[in-house]
Amino acid sequence: MSLLEVQDLSVVYEPSDAAPTHAVRDVSLTLERGEFVGLVGESGSGKSTLGFALTRLSKPPARISSGRILFDGRDVAALEDEQLRAQRRGGFAMVLQSGMNALNPVRTVGNHFRDVFAAHGHVPRERRDARARELVEKVELSSTVLGRYPGELSGGMRQRVSIALALALEPQLMVFDEPTTALDVLVQHAVMRTIRELQASEGFTALLISHDLGVVLESTSRVMVMHQGVVVEDGASRDVLRDPQDDYTKMLLSHYADPRAEVVELPGLAARGGQLVTSASTAPSPGRRAHGSGSAPRVGRAASAAVVVDGVSKVYPPPRRGAATVTALDDVSMRLEPGQSMALVGASGSGKSTLAQLITGVVRPTSGTVSVGDVRVDALRGRGLRALRRDVQMVFQDPYAALNPLHTVEYTLTRPVVNYTGRSRREARARVLELLETVGLTPVEQFAAKLPHQLSGGQRQRVVIARALASDPQIIVADEPVSMLDVSLRAGVLALLEGLRAEHGVSMLYITHDLLSARVVTDQIMVLHDGRVVERGETSQVLRFPQDPYTIELLDAVPQPSRAGGAA
Amino acid sequence: MTTPTTLPDPGGSESERPAGAADSAPPDLPTSAPPRWRVVTRAAGTVWVNRKARLGLVVLAFFALLALLAPVLAPYSPTAGGFERSAGPSSAHLFGTTAAGEDVLSQVIYGSRISLLVGVVAGVLSTLVAVVVGLSWGYVRGPVAEVVNFVVNLFLVIPGLPLMIVIAAYLQNSGLGMIIFVVVLTGWAWGARVLRSQTQSLRGRDFVTAAQFSGERSWRIVFREILPNMTSIIASSFFGAATAAILAESGLSFLGLGDTTQVSWGTMLFWAQNSNALLTGQWVLLLAPGLCIALLATSLSLVNFGVDGLSNPRLREGSGR
Repeated sequence: MSLLEVQDLSVVYEPSDAAPTHAVRDVSLTLERGEFVGLVGESGSGKSTLGFALTRLSKPPARISSGRILFDGRDVAALEDEQLRAQRRGGFAMVLQSGMNALNPVRTVGNHFRDVFAAHGHVPRERRDARARELVEKVELSSTVLGRYPGELSGGMRQRVSIALALALEPQLMVFDEPTTALDVLVQHAVMRTIRELQASEGFTALLISHDLGVVLESTSRVMVMHQGVVVEDGASRDVLRDPQDDYTKMLLSHYADPRAEVVELPGLAARGGQLVTSASTAPSPGRRAHGSGSAPRVGRAASAAVVVDGVSKVYPPPRRGAATVTALDDVSMRLEPGQSMALVGASGSGKSTLAQLITGVVRPTSGTVSVGDVRVDALRGRGLRALRRDVQMVFQDPYAALNPLHTVEYTLTRPVVNYTGRSRREARARVLELLETVGLTPVEQFAAKLPHQLSGGQRQRVVIARALASDPQIIVADEPVSMLDVSLRAGVLALLEGLRAEHGVSMLYITHDLLSARVVTDQIMVLHDGRVVERGETSQVLRFPQDPYTIELLDAVPQPSRAGGAA
Repeated sequence: MTTPTTLPDPGGSESERPAGAADSAPPDLPTSAPPRWRVVTRAAGTVWVNRKARLGLVVLAFFALLALLAPVLAPYSPTAGGFERSAGPSSAHLFGTTAAGEDVLSQVIYGSRISLLVGVVAGVLSTLVAVVVGLSWGYVRGPVAEVVNFVVNLFLVIPGLPLMIVIAAYLQNSGLGMIIFVVVLTGWAWGARVLRSQTQSLRGRDFVTAAQFSGERSWRIVFREILPNMTSIIASSFFGAATAAILAESGLSFLGLGDTTQVSWGTMLFWAQNSNALLTGQWVLLLAPGLCIALLATSLSLVNFGVDGLSNPRLREGSGR
């Protein structure tokens, strides 16, 4: 008998003030004992709803409208509360995306384990401390964390603790809901490895829910793909990779590639591979190449200002009294030529966002100089900053936070047009519609009247890009512009940015932790680690033949579907 | 101000000045009007759905009608004397008469006008002060913020009622305007502090940084980007301020610090107390205005429950269950 059997399960959300949403429709699936299965889908596909339903954590307004969930032959939906509580041990457990925030900040990690043991009484009192030590060691933490408070641990460590807590219940089924999404790239990679190893050694059945097909294929032996509440693909990871059946799966797979490959292509984005390497060795800098080729004449001013950062350091005061000062950037120099595109990569805390803030004049350097053209950015105030921002614009990471929820798209775009180009309101409207056309939001009249909540994430990001273009800037700083978007939307937004850069001759500083996207949209790359530049050069050269161990580590952390079934 | 490196587009530098003037003149875009109305009706709907708020709105509407239709509803003029003094309830005078021979029912009806007027005017004014101070205080950094902080703290630590009494006594019976002034002076600080913390949290949002990148000036960021996102807090701070103003007016009038010739619920209590109404068995004289004050203040607080649901959708879901 299989461990979990789901028959024709449907889950519907019925909020009191809106129409019901069918999040999961007639899903049937079985999990065999000891299997490691992945469940992949983009946002809104119903994958988390399904995960919550399986572990009976669904809360109103979600409701199981039909179907049955049999766990070890028993109907989960029919369990009484007390039976359910007992079932949490030796039954099913869940590790949440925000699991690292699930710890009580005023209790030590050890207390969390003691609570679990006390609630279920499955470990004899005198064995409990030893068992807790054993568990944290299993997730590769030192047993000293037991005496510490959650606030003293990093995000990755806390997520490991929450995995250990789930393990303390000795579950037969573990559901991991995006266990690494909120973590930094390198940490993400390490935690996933731990999960894989644990699954192999402990032999529990695992369901890994993720939006990232790459991560899932790399870890699991079987994968299910969900799309609009329906499971569209279900097969062994290797088979899915080699021969995907559903068009949706094929589309998802087409968005993965190895940044180290000789030629890298993503849907809608042209290759920037070998040709560049050869052209770079003979031709002048790629910046001038874009400039000289200028087939499409620029509407406004030509990009002429280079960004020069010279020996910049930024030191923040200590976070707590007695702690050491934080050095975000340490003697960094760089030069971004007009029309060039440069990637700034590094894990979180590497100082890449600080560098962006210095260039845009949001913060001032502790030492060193930043200049755009002949303007010293680090000396600017009020008016000067406004003038600078006409030339240096920014695309924000989170399209959900970067638009004022109460303003229409037209208002949002009109403001920079009126502020920077001195057009009258009527002329501004023409320009706004033109901008919407440029970023591909058509019919433009309709999109102009919309409020942000009526737009999808990708559409919002296009509005954010349109706003950055409104002042006809020379330099665009894009801070992780696609990291909050679904994989299928990323390529479109990247292609847009790349197209605009080439067409308008804008220089772009592309900040990211995602080396694959850096490979396809930039010519130059700079790798930051702990506030220092560890490697720089042509993007294709650096990524194909990395020299610094940190760059290699970052490259290894990129999810590779081609490594599918490695764990099986 | 264009940077020297840029080549201005045709006529760019000339048209920049008029643009600066133009952007301050028409504050509204015609296209933003329809969605805004939808927001208002949806907000009203949210408040109405809450059961407590609905009760509050009904009571509030009752008093508002009472105030508006006072000349129609009241059987006599509130200041017309000449009836039997200190009479008990009868068919001619449902609530009896005062020691000066005036009709109590008419006084209660007319009294609602003063209370509502003071509540609305003082509520609006102190909310306005709170919004202006709170938002600019939350947005600026540095020494200015420290100075404002000191002033607001000063107003917060001085006990409100004694301060009101001192100021009212100092200004000497100058009527309704004085009472409103005193209420506003002592009532804005709390709202300013609440709005300031909310502004500080919104100030760090990406859309505010984005507005800076759009070349917006500070005052515009504060009042066009940040302010509309705090509508519900401002609304609830208005209802809070109005409640406090109504209670303060009654309190001051009861102490005889207002214009005692004017008919308000507070002055009714003042005269009832003066004529020992309780000793003469005229409890209606104390109960009627007292109950009205309590009901009106309660109705405003109840409406505030619904306003909370506006800012916090979770409270809304909870009320449905």
